[in-house]
Amino acid sequence: MKIVLTPDWFLGKDVIIDVFSFIVLLLFFILSFKNYKLDKNKKFLFLGIGFGLISLAQLATIMTKLVLYFDTTFTKQIGQAIITYSVIKTVDIFYYLGFFFYRLFTLLGLYIIYKLPLEKEHKKDFFLALFFIIVISILSQDLTYLFRLTALILLLFITRNYYVVYKKNKSKKTLLLVLAFGILATSQIMFALSRQGSSISVIANLWELISYIILLTLIIRIIYHHGKKKKQNGYNIRYISNSSRKGRKH
Amino acid sequence: MDIISDILAIVQEKGGSIKPTHLMYKANLSHTQMKLYLEELMEKGLIQKDTSDEKLLMITKKGRDFVLKYHQMKDFEDTFGL
Repeated sequence: MKIVLTPDWFLGKDVIIDVFSFIVLLLFFILSFKNYKLDKNKKFLFLGIGFGLISLAQLATIMTKLVLYFDTTFTKQIGQAIITYSVIKTVDIFYYLGFFFYRLFTLLGLYIIYKLPLEKEHKKDFFLALFFIIVISILSQDLTYLFRLTALILLLFITRNYYVVYKKNKSKKTLLLVLAFGILATSQIMFALSRQGSSISVIANLWELISYIILLTLIIRIIYHHGKKKKQNGYNIRYISNSSRKGRKH
Repeated sequence: MDIISDILAIVQEKGGSIKPTHLMYKANLSHTQMKLYLEELMEKGLIQKDTSDEKLLMITKKGRDFVLKYHQMKDFEDTFGL
């Protein structure tokens, strides 16, 4: 049975894409956590946890793929039944555990990001959602499309949430966020169809890479935009001061 | 937090140093409020008395970094609609 749908020529390159995604997600986690330390706004903390979980998911898939690719080569070189058997067992454990945590952390992270704009959240709702996420993560071992479908639905809801934010603030940065999550959502459809042909898996990986490039662009714009801010005159000082003072309490 | 950022931004935009009375007027704060905030800012090392003119208040490097981080945080907050 073929356990990785990626074509042979793309093996390794997909790991590079995963490493890139991991770094981008880690940057969002770090920035969210830094903002939480500055402002103590719990929404930063939860956003950070969301991105942190997805980055952990990426790490799990990177480790699993590395072990899978490495062990396969090792098995070919040794070519003895007993050793091969034990290697396959190691691969099996890594495969099941690694990809299980990938699915679990991805869905959990996406769920947290999706729930963030909603004002109230009951604890029992979260535990109910957690239960279903664990069930889906287990069942998706054989039914891969179930994981992809769940991720697609969550990503579509997240995209919708950020589109609502964009309609209010008309910010180009929020538009980038909408675009990135939208592309990430459509990549799930491609991943779900990967069994139809290995080239679809390659396209899905590349499509996913585009969304992470957009997210990296966004983070660069947030970090460096203020560093290059032009010096303003006295009139603007007063304007900035008054506008940011809206609603503040003495 | 907003007020502290406002005060620092005003000093920064004024070239890095400002007279306390001007700051009070621009930040739209009372004398008592201003005194309290300045004490806090000095205690945290975000602002200090100008070395060349003691009547002036000067923003420190830590203060400039704070303004930058604060604006990044606000930008992040607006982008995600938090």
